[in-house]
Amino acid sequence: MAIVAKVWIDEDCITCDACEDICPEVFKVTDDTSQILAAVRTDGTFDRNEGGSPLLGNLGAELGDIILEAAEACPVEVIKFELVGEGVDVATVEAEAPAAEAAVAPAAAVAPAAGVSEALASVFSGDRNLNILFGSQTGNSAGLAEKTAKMAENYGLTPHIVDMDGLDPARLASMKRVMIITSTWGEGEMPDNADAMWNAINANGPGLSATHYSVCAIGDTSYDEYCKAGHDWNNKLAALGGREAHPIQECDVDYEPAWRIWVEEALPRLACVDESGTLQLELLEEMMAYGAGDDEDLVEGDFSPGTIQREELTISLEIFRYAPEAAESGWDTLTCTVPGHATIQDLLLTMQRDVDGSLAFRRGNGAGTPTTGIRVNGRIVLADATMVGDVMASSGRVRIEPLPGHPVVRDLIVDTSRYEGHRSRAEPWMRTDPREGERLPSGMAMGTLDAATATALHQAGDVHAFQLIQAMSDALAHDPHYEGPGVHFQQWLRVLDPRTSEQQRRTIMNSLQEKDGIWSEADLSSLMRYGEDGRLAARGLNEARGALLNQNRYAGKSGRLVKWYGRSVKWSGNVNETTLYRQVLGPLGLVSNVFSGVSARMALAFTRNGSPPIRSLQSLLLPPAGLGRIPKMFNSKVDKYHEVVSLFNEIDQRF
Amino acid sequence: MAKIAYYPGNVARAGASEVEDCIQPLCRALNIQLVEIPRSSSDGGNVIKQATPKLQDALVARNLALAEEKGLDIMTTCATSHAIMCNTADDMKRDPIYAATINNLVERTSKVEYIGETKSWHLLHYLVEEIGLDTVRKAVKNPLKMKIAGYYGPDMQRQGACAGDDPFMPTYMEQLIEALGGIPVEYDSKCQSVGSTSMLTLEDSSLAMTAAVLSDALQSGAELVVSACTISHINLDSYQSKAGRVTGKSTSVPVCHLSEVVAFALGFYPDRLAQLRTRVRLIGS
Repeated sequence: MAIVAKVWIDEDCITCDACEDICPEVFKVTDDTSQILAAVRTDGTFDRNEGGSPLLGNLGAELGDIILEAAEACPVEVIKFELVGEGVDVATVEAEAPAAEAAVAPAAAVAPAAGVSEALASVFSGDRNLNILFGSQTGNSAGLAEKTAKMAENYGLTPHIVDMDGLDPARLASMKRVMIITSTWGEGEMPDNADAMWNAINANGPGLSATHYSVCAIGDTSYDEYCKAGHDWNNKLAALGGREAHPIQECDVDYEPAWRIWVEEALPRLACVDESGTLQLELLEEMMAYGAGDDEDLVEGDFSPGTIQREELTISLEIFRYAPEAAESGWDTLTCTVPGHATIQDLLLTMQRDVDGSLAFRRGNGAGTPTTGIRVNGRIVLADATMVGDVMASSGRVRIEPLPGHPVVRDLIVDTSRYEGHRSRAEPWMRTDPREGERLPSGMAMGTLDAATATALHQAGDVHAFQLIQAMSDALAHDPHYEGPGVHFQQWLRVLDPRTSEQQRRTIMNSLQEKDGIWSEADLSSLMRYGEDGRLAARGLNEARGALLNQNRYAGKSGRLVKWYGRSVKWSGNVNETTLYRQVLGPLGLVSNVFSGVSARMALAFTRNGSPPIRSLQSLLLPPAGLGRIPKMFNSKVDKYHEVVSLFNEIDQRF
Repeated sequence: MAKIAYYPGNVARAGASEVEDCIQPLCRALNIQLVEIPRSSSDGGNVIKQATPKLQDALVARNLALAEEKGLDIMTTCATSHAIMCNTADDMKRDPIYAATINNLVERTSKVEYIGETKSWHLLHYLVEEIGLDTVRKAVKNPLKMKIAGYYGPDMQRQGACAGDDPFMPTYMEQLIEALGGIPVEYDSKCQSVGSTSMLTLEDSSLAMTAAVLSDALQSGAELVVSACTISHINLDSYQSKAGRVTGKSTSVPVCHLSEVVAFALGFYPDRLAQLRTRVRLIGS
């Protein structure tokens, strides 16, 4: 096992994301370069770590092997590291042990727990106020502010939740520690309650040289102005002389995971701001340890984790392996025992650590990361959010394969570039028309989506990940040009959104009707079998097909099939396959069946031999009966077939 | 004697008459009384649903209601038809307002309504769960004695449509094949789609999907493929040589419907079983 003392990034990083995919605990790839996360460094800084700050605590041992793997995987070899013993002694890596006894804190406003160093105790003295300002339109930011406040208490802070509505910007100057959590509304606008304060601070902003701050920006990547309100605040505070204690965090619609990362990194830093307004970064490690505290004291969010009691599972594990350099594939099999609450990702990590370090798979953050998609016992699931016990067969068998429908890169890692390429071309992101809509008293435009429509829209597309929907299609692997249900489902959801511009709606509908569009899915039932996500997607795509049939008046083979299927049922209550063949394929198509051997096989093959040979000859002699053993050219009607006709007339008279 | 309404699906009494030939005698042999529903219509085959989901659901609800009127569950030999009935029953159960709308239409036109008591069975699930494999085993007169790969398809392999079987790693067909004296063959593609509903509109994809399933079964050692779906059976059998030619894969293997092999094993059509054995051992497909 390798123990890494320090790790840093040289120049010329190509931002390929490989290091972050392999070891997201240490590496974070920005727009320009990979960087070493502050949370793992003794200096608590987020940059390339050219200064060679050692890794915190035991991280060098815990993550050593993975860091080495990331370095090995780096195509331009810019990840550099130093192992313990090569230049840095273990002792220098480990954190300084806290003082054995609590120092006496002079008149601290918040009394620290026993066992902290004298330096940390001095930070706890005096003003410990933390002001958490929220700008919220729908309540999400306000909810996060409350959660943030509860977690702030772990760091000896005294949190105050402040609604931006009515806050005098001049008060900001007297605040030592400020956290801003704000959403972005409409086309990059401030939420309602932040609008007045934003205008005021722009008109007459105070100097903020004594203020340390950090901003959490919530947005939606489908909008052009993603997280704009948060960036506006971040830039404004900086322009007024404020000191950024931690970089701005952007959060997409699934904001909780990103917010959690931010709050866990920003809170200890702001907690290190002392009475004089100085950020004591050298105390960051101890502050983080202090904040983590004992499990019993931990207050995280607005709930207390329950006790997990699950029996251990004995499983018979099969893992797909593929080595591209040798073009060899196969299965690793072994029997093992895992904790009852282990996820598939936990299982894979254990295999990688204890059995075979070369096992490759994508890791997630434990909250359902889309890129961890994988197939386990036939189910398409997210590895970091699926427990082994939920997918294990009754026999104990656990068979793990790569996500279907994508080329395999190595072991369980698939190449999703085809999906991303199709998605990029399909452009399922929001483009709106200029709209009148509702306006706030301030004159700012606001969204026009009413609650019922928003709920319906959310429910229509409430799936774990579109990558998983893409993988549910059995047809995808057999048609290299088919764009796939994951892409088409996103497009259809955009069509359903009333905020979408008419032009974009037309563009998407035309794209869905094209050759590699929605009609290239050979069987929607292959999606239906994958639980609620598959059911939602299949239903949405079926609705899209209905809309296309209406728009294009049943044009093309697919349209003719639907039209004549319906008509033949309406005429007799039964399907007439002869009619379908004739109408969908046309006379030439029927004749092609004779020459392609299909009709001959129908007539002569052994297995479908339930009728006299004369019926087989019928298909050869009468080309319209192209299906072969069709016993009747015309169907008899079902009893009381007028009831069927009445149903058609009541519901859909187009047939 | 077990008594159940019979729904032949869309093709058993048309292009797949071999199914109809076999289902009647096999049920007599297993003491199952099939009750006809002469007023039942096509279920829309998931094709009408593309234009009007409500119309397909109304057609299906009417069929279910006609069986319910007789106080019976309903059985079919087609996986697609079974899945369609399960889907409609599920949708109506999930949404009472939608169910009321559908029932209102069915009641006005056909004087029946579907309350939700009648459930759909596929022949496979009915034999395994209601009749019992021991009963089937005792009734076998001509053990199949062949390596047989069961084909389930995707339609009925989902929660709520596959009875007590595992939706993703089903074993009912293998258990039944064993009871019939055959040797079940495991292969990965047994639940994969063969694109049967799209053969007329997406021939290239459907042929490739068909070839993938057949070649997988062959590589796994199958001498015979048994299909639980009447419509997929057409792809697997009639289109297999074309699928092999187009994809370059080996696809040549005899394909039977489930009802055929059960009838053969129970002693019906011994001449066909003899021919099938000859084909398997000497000639191939």
